[in-house]
Amino acid sequence: MANPEHVMGVVGSYPLLVALWLLPLLGAVLCWAFGPQLKRAAGWIATAIAFVAFGLTLASWGAGTQSLNGALGADQPLVRWMPGFHLGLLLDPLSLLWACIITGVGALIHLYSIGYMEGDSAFARFFAYMNFFLFAMLTLVLSDNFVGLLIGWGLVGLASYFLIGFWFYKPSAVAAARKAFVINVAGDVGIMFAIFLIVQKTGSIGFGNAFAAADTYGPTLLLAICISLFIGAAAKSAQVPLHTWLPDAMEGPTPVSALIHAATMVTAGVYLIARCAPLWSHDGNAQLLVGTIGGVTALLGAVLGMVQWDIKRILAYSTMSQIGYMIMGVGVGAYEAGVAHFFTHAFFKAQLFLGSGLIIHALSNEQDVRRMGGLRKRLPFAFIAMLVGVLAICGIPGFSGSFSKDAVIQGALDHGHPWLYAVGIVTAGMTAYYMFRMLFVTFFGAYRGDIDPSELGIRHPEFAGTSLHAPDGAADHHHAPAWLMNVPVAILIVPSIFAGWLLYGGANSPWHHFFDPQFGVGAIARIPIPELTTTLVTLAFVAVGIFVAYLRYGTKSARAAAVERLRRESLGMSPILANAFYFDVALDALFVKTSEALGRLVSRVLDPHVVDGSVREAVIVTQWSGALARSFQTGLVRAYAVFLAVGIACFAAFYAFHGVH
Amino acid sequence: MATSFAGVPIFDYEALASILFFIGLAGAIARRNPLVMLMSIELMFNAANLAFIVFARAWLNNAGQIFAFLVITVAAAEAAIALAIVVVVFRSAPQVDVDDVRVLHG
Amino acid sequence: MISFWVIAVVLVVSALWTVTARRPIYSVVSLLLNFAALATTYLILHAEFLAVMQMIVYSGAILMLFVFVIALLNSGIAPIVLGRDRVPLAPAAAVALAAVAFIATTIAAAHAPAIVPIASHSPLGEVGRGNVFGSIGDFGQALFLSRLLPFEVTALILMVAVIGVVLLAGDLTPYVPTRRRAERARRALREAILREGK
Repeated sequence: MANPEHVMGVVGSYPLLVALWLLPLLGAVLCWAFGPQLKRAAGWIATAIAFVAFGLTLASWGAGTQSLNGALGADQPLVRWMPGFHLGLLLDPLSLLWACIITGVGALIHLYSIGYMEGDSAFARFFAYMNFFLFAMLTLVLSDNFVGLLIGWGLVGLASYFLIGFWFYKPSAVAAARKAFVINVAGDVGIMFAIFLIVQKTGSIGFGNAFAAADTYGPTLLLAICISLFIGAAAKSAQVPLHTWLPDAMEGPTPVSALIHAATMVTAGVYLIARCAPLWSHDGNAQLLVGTIGGVTALLGAVLGMVQWDIKRILAYSTMSQIGYMIMGVGVGAYEAGVAHFFTHAFFKAQLFLGSGLIIHALSNEQDVRRMGGLRKRLPFAFIAMLVGVLAICGIPGFSGSFSKDAVIQGALDHGHPWLYAVGIVTAGMTAYYMFRMLFVTFFGAYRGDIDPSELGIRHPEFAGTSLHAPDGAADHHHAPAWLMNVPVAILIVPSIFAGWLLYGGANSPWHHFFDPQFGVGAIARIPIPELTTTLVTLAFVAVGIFVAYLRYGTKSARAAAVERLRRESLGMSPILANAFYFDVALDALFVKTSEALGRLVSRVLDPHVVDGSVREAVIVTQWSGALARSFQTGLVRAYAVFLAVGIACFAAFYAFHGVH
Repeated sequence: MATSFAGVPIFDYEALASILFFIGLAGAIARRNPLVMLMSIELMFNAANLAFIVFARAWLNNAGQIFAFLVITVAAAEAAIALAIVVVVFRSAPQVDVDDVRVLHG
Repeated sequence: MISFWVIAVVLVVSALWTVTARRPIYSVVSLLLNFAALATTYLILHAEFLAVMQMIVYSGAILMLFVFVIALLNSGIAPIVLGRDRVPLAPAAAVALAAVAFIATTIAAAHAPAIVPIASHSPLGEVGRGNVFGSIGDFGQALFLSRLLPFEVTALILMVAVIGVVLLAGDLTPYVPTRRRAERARRALREAILREGK
């Protein structure tokens, strides 16, 4: 089965690429090994490495976009093993974009973290984990074969486990980390299965070979591969029904939430689908499935985001919803749109999280919005940052989010899914509602931090989502210079507003020119609704959402009666929404309970009775057979005579029946 | 092959030999006196000899008679040694009972 | 015909009495009767040398051995006992079953096809005539010509038996002719031992 190697990029030697990939690993090892000695310097080293990696990514721009005889991008072979099993690095427009976001936004978040994690007892360990995450994510996006991707996939899950459970003395954090890891591993199995199928068919793990043979798979095999891959993507990107880990993952520090659970790790699923575009383009059923699940997740995330009280959980559900958009986009075949939404989302979501981190940090780890209010005057910079992010995510024209979101919605229509088109528009309205709800409750009205929590409807103040720094130095840590946290946020304001303009111009936009050689699949408009109509309709829904939020939380009377209103809403929330549609309960009953029952069965029945029992039985059988053999040795002459006679009788019978010869 | 001599079918001679053999066997198993055991064994030898002689006559083959002769010789040797053993073992025993010899028990 | 049945009855009855007699000496006597009947049977079956051998060796030597040993030993009365705790019952039952099976197969074999015999050198003739089947001449020719090796081996066996008996039950003290000399030898041995002891 030795097919000729189809390589996707121009094969050569790219030392910058290898350096870009390995540098964060070096940083991680340094911070791990010399953490106690480095102390605060660990943060600066890690941040510097992240910035250098970003520079190397930009320096590799030319190599990444080169095109030669049908090969696109740069391919750096690393390990040549068996025929068909070669590991290497691939830098083409898709992975170049992801690498830029990973290292660029990652570097800014590293800088922010130096200020945010100030005083934490495990400062160096945090930066080791962050750099390790950069390395893992780069492995994922830079691999030119499925196995390398899977390795990166697993390492990223590991990094997420490390970082969610960073404050490991908090039981809730440990539980959340474990939950995230288990669900991620379930996704890993899906990808492994897909690799098995691909290797069986093509005999190779490389992307090039797998995609070149896309015509020969046959519908069943192709659907199986796509579904297996999507299981992995759904687990990593928190799509229904494997989404339950994402809200709990907010137990980690805010920079972690910003980098991993907003900008990069959860978008790995989007990357996977975009990378395997040749496979998906051949199978309409898989596309329908993926698109539908993306749409459902977007809707579900928006619905649940409307009833959350923890500022980070609002943002978590909003992430889930926006990734639903991305998955919907790349699922139906609108690859450029989906990837564009990833691009803009990375900026404004990172900014929203970092802005919320500013608030949390300023209010000494208060995360419940019910106890905030009136922060517009106290934290003006945070207000401006969050406002920009909210405007971007709502898709207000001119801000980045509108370009990409409209592109996704239009793409759903263009590829023949009118229902997803409708879902996208409705969800946009809901997004506007809950984002502005958060804005109004947090920044407007009077400050409610001094009011008794039960008056606001908070039943368990200690579980109201307050994050915890390390016990030592929590109360009296000297504040880091404000610029460490403010500068990255300020820097992010620019792309949050302007990044979307890269899509301006449709088919003539710079975005399209960048990605045309990569995807090159056009869209056929089945229902000819022009883009302008889409934009206007979406805007109408968004305006309705904003207006409803204003009516409920923003009017003068609403602000005055805020305490009353909040309490009524908290206490009157229906249990379905409070339990997030019982997904957690269902998964627990299906998998956790059965595993526990199986464990009990093995430990109480199988182990003592079957395993130990068989050992005992062996002993008993040996003793019994020995006793039986011993019973013949009576010492009695006459008994021996009888035995002799029996033997003779046997001989005689044998000869009588068979004859002498 | 002759099936009868003087009107007696061979089967009768075979049956006679078998009956004598099993009487001897029963005696060897059931009696506790070692001497009677040995005599029962001699009885078994003779039953076998009878069978040999009968078939030698039936097939007019000397080999049967010669083998019977050898059996007599070996039986004599065996009886001598067996009696010597009996004498040694039971020289000072109060009762001559083979069941009392249980040295091989285990 | 009649003679066969008479002899058969004698054989069976004497065998039964051998096995079941209360005293061993009765067993010996009935065994003697059994051997005599057997010798007669051999004569009928044209095996005259064997008949004589049977009487001389078996009745004259072996049974006499038995008599001497009975006289030497303290033979008590040992009735037939099949104690349940002494002889395993299952093998005894198996033996009985085997006996039945053997007789049954013998019956079956009676109808088996004949085996081609190897004819002897001499023809069949009256008992007592020379050079007929079963006569001394015929027997001797067969024994010393074609079956010489087994004959020599039995000689070896007999020698081994004699040595064995002497080792087992013999008195190995050296032979002294008269009683007086025996007394003198014993006294000399005692004094030598006492002298050495000093």
